Amino acid sequence: MRIRPTSTVAAVAALALLTAACGSDDGESALEEATADNPIEITMYYPIAVGGPLQEVVDGLIDDFMAENPEIAVQAVYSGNYDETMVSVQTAVDGGDAPVTSVLLSTEMFQLIDDDMIVPFDDVVTNDDEREWLDSFYDAFMANSRDHEGRTWGIPFQRSTIVQYWNKDLFEEAGLDPDHAPQTWDELVEIAQQVQQETGARWGVQIPSSGFPYWLFQALTTQNDVEIVSADGTEVYFDQPAVVEALEFWLSLSADHGVHPSGIVDWGTTPEDFLQGQTAMIWTTTGNLTNVRDNATFDFGVDMLPEGVRRGSPTGGGNFFLFADASEAEQVAAMRLIRYLTQPEQAAEWGIATGYVAPLPEAWETAAMEEYVSGFPEAAVARDQLDYAVRELSTYARGQIYEILNDALQGAIVGDMTPEEAMRHAQEQADNVLGVYQN
Amino acid sequence: MIRTSRLPRISDKIEVGMAWLLGFLWIAPLVYVFWAAFREPAVALTLNPFQGWTLDNIESVWNSAPFDRYFQNTVLLVTGLATTQLVLGILAAYALARYNFPGRDILFAFVLLQLMIFPEILLTENFRLVSNLGLQDTIPGIAIPYAASAFCIFLMRQQFKAVPKELVEAAEIEGASRLETLWKVYLPLARPTIVAFGLVSVSFHWNNFLWPLVITRSPESRPVTVGIVRFLSPETGIDFTSLTAGTVIVVTPLLALFLLTQRQFIQSFMRSGIK
Repeated sequence: MRIRPTSTVAAVAALALLTAACGSDDGESALEEATADNPIEITMYYPIAVGGPLQEVVDGLIDDFMAENPEIAVQAVYSGNYDETMVSVQTAVDGGDAPVTSVLLSTEMFQLIDDDMIVPFDDVVTNDDEREWLDSFYDAFMANSRDHEGRTWGIPFQRSTIVQYWNKDLFEEAGLDPDHAPQTWDELVEIAQQVQQETGARWGVQIPSSGFPYWLFQALTTQNDVEIVSADGTEVYFDQPAVVEALEFWLSLSADHGVHPSGIVDWGTTPEDFLQGQTAMIWTTTGNLTNVRDNATFDFGVDMLPEGVRRGSPTGGGNFFLFADASEAEQVAAMRLIRYLTQPEQAAEWGIATGYVAPLPEAWETAAMEEYVSGFPEAAVARDQLDYAVRELSTYARGQIYEILNDALQGAIVGDMTPEEAMRHAQEQADNVLGVYQN
Repeated sequence: MIRTSRLPRISDKIEVGMAWLLGFLWIAPLVYVFWAAFREPAVALTLNPFQGWTLDNIESVWNSAPFDRYFQNTVLLVTGLATTQLVLGILAAYALARYNFPGRDILFAFVLLQLMIFPEILLTENFRLVSNLGLQDTIPGIAIPYAASAFCIFLMRQQFKAVPKELVEAAEIEGASRLETLWKVYLPLARPTIVAFGLVSVSFHWNNFLWPLVITRSPESRPVTVGIVRFLSPETGIDFTSLTAGTVIVVTPLLALFLLTQRQFIQSFMRSGIK
């Protein structure tokens, strides 16, 4: 007969926390005192969201860092997917044993700021070199890493955009130019129709709508030249006519043109459908490059998404964050680790191993990356598309806003609501949630 | 005679047919997992049995994480935990079922309450408890929040309540102490329940994922489930062959154990029915 003495323990824990919090330290000097025999210990959580033996790559990078910086001991903890990593981090922070740094979705930024969980990198960098490092990344990625006041809360690490993949063999069979992917929405419809009629492919194109339909949808809204979120994460613009139009175009692919499956298209099986020749084109993350290259039994191409009014795609993927509960010395040590991991050589290595877009221009000038791109030019498409990329939907109360928009999109896709109703409804709900964040 | 025997025969056939159908529906995913795990990625979803067989998936998955260590941890965790739960649960249930003491019913109500709490809600509290005990990132740390199982206490108490008073009184007349009565009278009668609970506990903790992931950090203490989730690769889509190969690696030992001992399990259930 044992009942867990949780409340007593909680009280003890609170007391212990309080005592720990009272000890203050000066980051720089504590780090200077650290030696190989008595190192500063930091914990880093990281999710793995793409295939491949990536834990080895991470371990290799961390070992290299520790060899160069013996005064810092890094424990790198694989922590499941992004959601599970977020749960782990949240639990560890609430439980009083936060990691020093973690890779989380870049879009968690406003929520993490709101929860006072993270510190901006501007407060942790100590010299001009490090300050310059904060400016060394592609602007498109920084759009989800800086707030509207210019403070840097996240460092881009495993970032992506949406690109189109097409099956060159099927294009050829349909009498199309196999090296020409659709460049406009109209061309997308035409090509999809032709390839579907002339070949054994069941579908012309698949744009997945499960899990995170808002992300794919944002590609369409961007192409229709409309922003759906404000820079400070407090406002969304779902009910504008151009947004509704973008949704109508998505639905028309199946309803009017019959080139896209009706109903929800599963994100997880879309690449598999493509590899099996079930669909001639797919829209999916650049993170799929390695997977498709390794498993495709046909010639395939990768290109930027077609343009509606303009070209465009949201960025996606994960950033490094620094947690507020860590001591200053730990934060500085973690910052140095993150800086090491995002140096051109390391960023190039990580990009090549994963398929993510190396987040800074210098990484693309390294010998390793140049060799990789010359053998596999498709890898550079996502980088080139960054010129047209926009900030991924990121707001306060992120989870709720995502749910609202995803539900509305799926409701329209399965035909429960018209696009206009769905978006108007989503806007009303989102305004209710975000009201408290708008001063 | 004819009329009475004909009808049952038809309904028997329907019943057997339904049983086969349900059995097939139940086993189909497992069959698919074992099928895809040994197929080359390009043909994993096709049904041609004459080509494309391979052991590469199993090999590459096995090498992608320290599975031998993970297995050791999982076995240690589930056996240690099931034993602890049974010892604590049986003693608690014995007290609740057979002794009168002040607050007994309130205590039992608390136990029942615990049954209704969704374990994930306690994630943070459990994390705090375990890290304050200094057991974070250890196997006992994974186990301790589950050590006092309300389900075990409840199950055993109901079982003990059903033990005939006469048997207990006979033991007492023979001069048996309280623990001797528990050992010699209650436990032999409760064996099927103990086995059943053990099975439920082992399979639950064998498959448990989120809590072990959150509370552990190093491969030295992580269980086998943490080893396979990476093949879900949510961002790039499901890698079917790796995921199914990983599933085969994880479930095979448990499946083999059950198949080997299933006769004993079924017998022990049947014997309990006779008594």
